[in-house]
Order: sequence, then structure tokens, then C-alpha cells
Amino acid sequence: MALLDIPVVTEQGPLTGNARAVLGEVETLLDSLLRTGDGGIVDIRGLPLTAADRGWLKAQLGKGEVEIHLDIGGHSSILETAYPAVWWIEHRDEGGNLVSEFIQVAYVPELISAHPDDVESGLEHLRNRNADLS
Amino acid sequence: MSDNRILETLAGQGITRRAFLKYCATLASLMALPPSAGKAFAEALGNAPRPSVIWLPFQECTGCTEAITRSHSPSIEGMIFDMISLDYQETLMAAAGHQAEAALHAAMERNHGKYILIVDGSVPLGLDGAYSCIAGRSNLETLKEVAAGAAAIVAMGSCAAYGGLPKAKPNPTGAVAVSDVIKDKPIVNIPGCPPIPVVMTGVLAHYLTFGSLPELDKLGRPKAFYGETIHDRCYRRPFYDQGKFAKTFDDEGARKGWCLFELGCKGPVTYNACASVKWNGGTSWPVESGHGCLGCSEPDFWDAGSFYKALSMPARPLKMAAGAAVAGAVAGVAIAVSNKARKGAAKTAHEKTTLADLEKSS
Repeated sequence: MALLDIPVVTEQGPLTGNARAVLGEVETLLDSLLRTGDGGIVDIRGLPLTAADRGWLKAQLGKGEVEIHLDIGGHSSILETAYPAVWWIEHRDEGGNLVSEFIQVAYVPELISAHPDDVESGLEHLRNRNADLS
Repeated sequence: MSDNRILETLAGQGITRRAFLKYCATLASLMALPPSAGKAFAEALGNAPRPSVIWLPFQECTGCTEAITRSHSPSIEGMIFDMISLDYQETLMAAAGHQAEAALHAAMERNHGKYILIVDGSVPLGLDGAYSCIAGRSNLETLKEVAAGAAAIVAMGSCAAYGGLPKAKPNPTGAVAVSDVIKDKPIVNIPGCPPIPVVMTGVLAHYLTFGSLPELDKLGRPKAFYGETIHDRCYRRPFYDQGKFAKTFDDEGARKGWCLFELGCKGPVTYNACASVKWNGGTSWPVESGHGCLGCSEPDFWDAGSFYKALSMPARPLKMAAGAAVAGAVAGVAIAVSNKARKGAAKTAHEKTTLADLEKSS
């Protein structure tokens, strides 16, 4: 029996107003990104948000054009919100449990970028492949 | 220290750089560090050599080891075994007997002054330590010898941190905490029965990244995980604020997930991260499963009174009543009679605390 099969219903809790403050922080980070090139990250799980607060925040940020899904030790998703350069990031473990959740303000989330060391390693493999084929 | 860099070792296990970044971001989040610390973790940890770790199990039940090794793999908790060189842990290592002891001493010699010592279990001092011996030597002797060459010590679980269950009254073996024996080394306590596995990962990752132990509270616990009470972070907290309490474990309030304070939950006086980190891969934790917090990460929790008595009730009512009776106070006699009846009721049936009981005791 899965946890969700147990007939316990819990109330979602009230809207506390804390999510409104997060929205203000995102605005500040977005302004900083445009002016200085530096964005930032908000750790959702580190904030005292009720389930209702989280739902409200997600609804306010909306949905954008880009969706990125990664399979890296469990599913991760990076979803662009309705505001360009504002990304909603969820990391799950192999059991599908949410382990961390962030809002990142960046032109491109750095998790997507390839690391130069990995690019170098990939180039070496490609050279070997081409050498084998020739 | 092992020559292998952590990221190289992880790559050999099929863990990519992106997966490592994800783990580090999650770890920083769990440790309540700024989100940017995830990147710092990844950069420093990836290039750090794997540290030698010696793990000594003393007077314990192996629950702490079980909690860590039974975690889902590869998980943030399980990953610690890829990040360290675990050179001695008698429960987990293949070697036994003289071979195991030789491995211990070889690791101590090779990494003198640099290895991290993890201890789970209390140290019995009674009968010159004879209550718990390994390889013919008392835990006390072994601890003193191994601690002398350690860079830092991690006391895993409530037994190592405070003496724990072995120290419960009447403490027949004279059990004490690691910090009662070792006074000249940095010690971090990670209490809990068992402790949350990811706390050990966080402490070791912090040590590897920043070269120091994380900030500790007055009981030697990392503030990142023990900085707030269970009550502060409990998802049932709004019901406490609204005055909505479960009166029994199967009433309507319990089914609606209301606050378990009146059923004896020790969340308001217990510092731990169960409410935010949870257990079993984030599945649940005691309060979410319908039972109050036992307070297992606090000193002497086993002797702190009934698990099912609300915190607002006197912890030792019989003792208080006796004192009042000696003074001859009429009110004291009344309390004594009340406590006697309560004690009798508790003996004959499972004790339930109701709002009426709270009103009587106030």
C-alpha cells in the first residue's frame, strides 16, 4: 500500500502572505540580472510556505515556453515561468520524492551548461571515434 | 587521505557532473545554507581528496548504521560512502578479527592527524569498561587511542552524543558520551535515535568543503539541522496555532491531521530536522505518520517522562506531590491524591491525555 492510499486527509493550511514576499524577491533578482548580469536563486524548501502558499506562488509565476527534463539520479525538471529568465526547478530522487526546489533567475540555468572538462573529454572521445572510422 | 578525487570516484560509479551538482544543491538546501553554497560545495568537493574515515561502534544497537546504509541508493545519504574512504567499520567491513584490527591501525598510521573518527554508541565506564570490549580491549581504551590521531570526531546518534539508552536510569554500565571522555578534539554531536542520515553527509561535506566543522549549538549539534524545533517546522503547526488538537489517536482530529500536542508530542522542545528532511527517502516522518515526536535528539529523552503525556503537564508529578505533602499544603495533598489516581489509571490502561486532564493539572 502506498502512502497516498491511506485515507488520511490533511488540510492544506492557510495563505500566510509569505509567498507574496518571494514574488518581490524574484522581481529584485530579475532587475539585478538585467542591470548587472547577476541573477540568483531562491530556495523554496527553506521558506515557511504552506502548500497553499506554494500553489499560489506557482500560479502567479505561470508557465513559459521552455521545459527541460533531466534524468540525473532521479527526475529533475527546469521549467521556464511566464517571466523570461525566471525558472522553476524541481529535483526528485529515484523514488520520485521531491528533494529540493528552487526558483532560479538566470538567462540559462547553469545546470544545463556543459562543463569545459566534460567538453574536453567528449572531444577526445569524438576524435577517437573519427579516427576509428577513417 | 586517498589519492582519488571525489568527482573522479563518482564518475567511476556512473554519477555525472550534473547529478553531482544536483546533489550539492540539495545538500546546501538541507543545510539551510544560501543557494549559492551548492555551487561552492560542488567545486570544492569535486576536487577534494577522499578523506579517511574510521568508524567505531561501541555500546549501541546498530540502528544508526542501519539508518544510513538502508537509505535508497544512490541518494544524498548513500553518496557519502562514495565520497569517503571508510577504512574501518567492523559491522560493514569484510575483514574480521586480526585482519580488521590490522586495517584499523594501518589507517591510523597512514592518516595520523588527518582522519575523521565517527563513533556510534556510548562508552561504558563501569568495571573498568569491561561491559563492552572489542578485540580484548575496552571501548574506553580504544576510543582514547583512536581519538588521539583524529582531526575531528563525529558522535553519531544519541548514545554517542549523550549516553543515550544505555545511560537510562539506573545506567547499569556507567555509560557516558564521547565528549565526557575526549576533551581535546573538536567533536560534533549528531543525536537522534537513530539520527537523520543526511546530517552526517552534510557535516562531512561541510568539513571537506570549508575545512572546518559547521556552526554548532550549545550541545555540540550542527545548527543547520538542529537550529529549530520540530514544532517550528511542523506542517501541523497551523493547527496548533488554531487550537485544533487530536484527543486520541483515532478521533476525527487525528484523521484530519490536527496537532498531536495533547497526545504527548515533544516537538516544541526537540531540536531536529525530521519535519523538513523526513525519513525513508522523504516518504514521511513520525508526526506525518500520526505519532507525536518522542524527543529522541534531546539528552536523556528516555528518562524525561511518558511519551504520551502532554508537555504542559508536570514531568514528574509524583515527586512534586510528595514535596508539597511534606510542606503540609492542602493543595499539595490534593495534587498527591490526583497523581495517585492518575498513576493507578496509567498502570491499568494505556494513558491518554485529554483536554480535561490538562485543565485539571493547570
